[in-house]
Amino acid sequence: MENKRQSMFEFFRGFAAIAIAILVAFILILICADDPGKAMECLLVRPIFSNGAINLKSILTIFARMTPTIFTGLAVCVMFSANQFNLGGEGAVMLGGFVAALIAIYIPLGAGVHILVAILAGTIIGGLVMIVPAVIKVRLKASEMVCSLMMNYVIMYVVLHFLNNVFADRSKGATQSYPFMSSAVIPKMISNTELSWGFAIAIIATVTVAFFMYRTRWGYAIRMIGINESFSKYSGMKVGGMIVLSQVIGGMLSGMGGAIEVLGRDNTFLWLNLPGYGWTGITVAILAKNNPIMIPFAALFISYLNRGCELMSIYAGVPSEMIDIIQAVIFLFFAAEHFLAGTRQKIVVKDAKEELQKKEVAAAGEGGNK
Amino acid sequence: MSDNEYVVQMKGITKVYPNGIAANQGVDFHVKRGEIHALMGENGAGKSTLMKILFGFEQPTEGEIIVNDEKVSLSSPTVAIAKGIGMVHQHFMLVPNLTVAENMVLGMEPKQKNKLFIHYKKAVEITEEFSKKYNLYVDPHAKVRDIPVGMKQKVEILKALVRGAKILILDEPTAVLTTQETEELFKELIHLKEQGYTLIFISHKLNEIKQITDRLTIMRSGKSMGVYDTAEISKEEISRLMVGRDVVLTVEKEKAQPSDCILSVRNLEYTNEWNKKMLDHISFDVRAGEILGIAGVEGNGQRELVDMLFNLSVPDRGTATVNGKSIIGRPQKEIRNLGVSLIPEDRMTFGIAGAGTIEENLMSDRAEDKKYNNGLLFNLKAMHEDSDRLIQDYQVLCKSRRQQVGMLSGGNIQKVVVAREFSSEPVLIIADQPTRGIDVGATEFIRKKLVALSRAGVAVLLVSADLNEVMELSDSLIIMNNGKITAYFEDTAVLDDAMMGEYMLGIKQQSPEEIGGVVHGK
Repeated sequence: MENKRQSMFEFFRGFAAIAIAILVAFILILICADDPGKAMECLLVRPIFSNGAINLKSILTIFARMTPTIFTGLAVCVMFSANQFNLGGEGAVMLGGFVAALIAIYIPLGAGVHILVAILAGTIIGGLVMIVPAVIKVRLKASEMVCSLMMNYVIMYVVLHFLNNVFADRSKGATQSYPFMSSAVIPKMISNTELSWGFAIAIIATVTVAFFMYRTRWGYAIRMIGINESFSKYSGMKVGGMIVLSQVIGGMLSGMGGAIEVLGRDNTFLWLNLPGYGWTGITVAILAKNNPIMIPFAALFISYLNRGCELMSIYAGVPSEMIDIIQAVIFLFFAAEHFLAGTRQKIVVKDAKEELQKKEVAAAGEGGNK
Repeated sequence: MSDNEYVVQMKGITKVYPNGIAANQGVDFHVKRGEIHALMGENGAGKSTLMKILFGFEQPTEGEIIVNDEKVSLSSPTVAIAKGIGMVHQHFMLVPNLTVAENMVLGMEPKQKNKLFIHYKKAVEITEEFSKKYNLYVDPHAKVRDIPVGMKQKVEILKALVRGAKILILDEPTAVLTTQETEELFKELIHLKEQGYTLIFISHKLNEIKQITDRLTIMRSGKSMGVYDTAEISKEEISRLMVGRDVVLTVEKEKAQPSDCILSVRNLEYTNEWNKKMLDHISFDVRAGEILGIAGVEGNGQRELVDMLFNLSVPDRGTATVNGKSIIGRPQKEIRNLGVSLIPEDRMTFGIAGAGTIEENLMSDRAEDKKYNNGLLFNLKAMHEDSDRLIQDYQVLCKSRRQQVGMLSGGNIQKVVVAREFSSEPVLIIADQPTRGIDVGATEFIRKKLVALSRAGVAVLLVSADLNEVMELSDSLIIMNNGKITAYFEDTAVLDDAMMGEYMLGIKQQSPEEIGGVVHGK
């Protein structure tokens, strides 16, 4: 089957991109590490296996760190499916986290309800800010990419302004908020690890988004609009509304991710910069090829590399920025449509030729003279 | 006489596109040195393909090309230009933000002494020199986006001349020009001819051809219908050769029993962005149970008309109603809810989402219906059942409903479109070129379905440039030329190809009273 050959190729292409990225990392490690062998071991093996035993704690850390990128990955997945290159996840994460933190600090509520309200507030605010680039796109035809990208910085400085001037805990040496009420802190799934129940919420979110995208009329419309907007319009779908909806959902997921990360990780708001989960979400979504079900796996992969880089910087003196290089290279090769385009073209041509031949044989069989 | 009377000889050119369409089938095309040679034919007849081959855009599947007594392989436009062939495209290939002089030297810029910067003064000099030499006035310093269409065309012609072209291909050069600009262009072309240039003039406008060409080649359905001296062939003869019928696929149908008016169009007017009047007081009715055909050479307003009826653009004036309710400017969902279905002309852009599955494409207009939803979630069972049934009923050749639509053949893609549009219980079907470019089997299938639906009481508006199709299927027929309805025939049985051709090409026109017959309602 021709289709299969082409999708096999797509799989291989993804694999090749990752392989090249790790190869590039190897070369850089060779250059900058004192002990390259040890550095490699830190990067590839030590996240799960150290001192001759499986390192459960480290594995749980990897899972914990996946949590926010699952949310941002899902967010990007929904938005990219509608062909909306909204990069505002970063800002929505920060704002969602900040608003959740404020509720956790200042509004006393009962246990359980407090967490729920805080997460919900983060989710809603994330969705609300994304209305801005979405509506500007639909009404004024301005690029949502530029608009959302710039919005990230607006959000960051607004949050920092309020954190510095209104909500800062002056008793601390560093800029941070007052501590959360204990009723608002998301409990750990396993005590003495980083893994909170937020991870479970992320998995539930994944399944929900998958259902939304493939089993509901809105997800369907979003996907069809992403494939062919003219077709969707002609079919009678509300194209403008769905474009806004996709970005609002993206914002909500990002905001939720931010809230859960803030409430589940530390007990105070510490972000003094864009946290970076929005960017990682893009890599995750691209790795997962915009398929919600694949998002946790892609997030796991990135989280694993992240942990590896962290260990590498602790034990082998390789700068932790290595993870950014690896991510950037994967990103480049994955996103580059023309990577291995020659081979892909050959496969397509071969398929077309076979098809044509089959047709000719069939036509000859019918005694056709076309 | 020796061969060198001919400057271009294309022998036995066959071109099969990867999608299997044979655009040229054994075409011979010979052009004499220093003549203006017309290449005529309807859209889709294969003119453009033949010229793309001559300009090196496309490679012929079979056949040979001889330019100036030398057998050549025109592997790219660069090679063609080197052989002295230039092309003036219908859609100008100019950079709007650059000046005329900059466009003129694009890709061959004269450089300053330091070899880094463009020598703008020299570019201007070159432009002025050629402009004077060929009597083609242009303003070298003006930005291309600011100059009128007529001047853009001159820039295109000069561009080709600067690059040393001796043979100029002009692809429907008058399509975008006003009458005055056309007159001016013709003077310039004759001037070029006098200086020894050879011009190939693509057009389907009879008057122009008669006015300036020496000889003409007529193409139809990918084949050459012969070469004629322009002076010795009548307009009627040309039209007969251009729009005659080939294969006759007959579809049996009972006599129509038209009842109520479903679609009523009144005085639709539309002027496009180039200030060309595309629709001029278009009024007609389509009744339940009849097929009203709209015949005409493409580009005479049919596409604009269909766009208005599905709100893909908005008319300047006029109304259109379905069962008394206006459809102008209404959202597509609302138009569809009134029972209107559309088989779009451009099926890849509007008809399908290529990367989606067959099922997703079959459900696009009805995914919100109660039938396919259980609360928040899709009722997948109902969707699967109906998709499978449609695939079977409409004989879509595929592996399963999960297959990507874009992977199907043209005919099967069209069957998916038709299956969706015909199964939404329409009261009005607008079928725009429903069988263009698809195989005979699918064509016959779609035509039969269309007739069957109309006999079951659906109103059908059939727009087609395929004469055979409109004449076979339509109960009554209107002909469009230049944005106007030029004829209405209550009964298509009285028609023959020659008559049709004359109305289609604007040689003849009926009186307003006769045309008014297509308005049945008050």
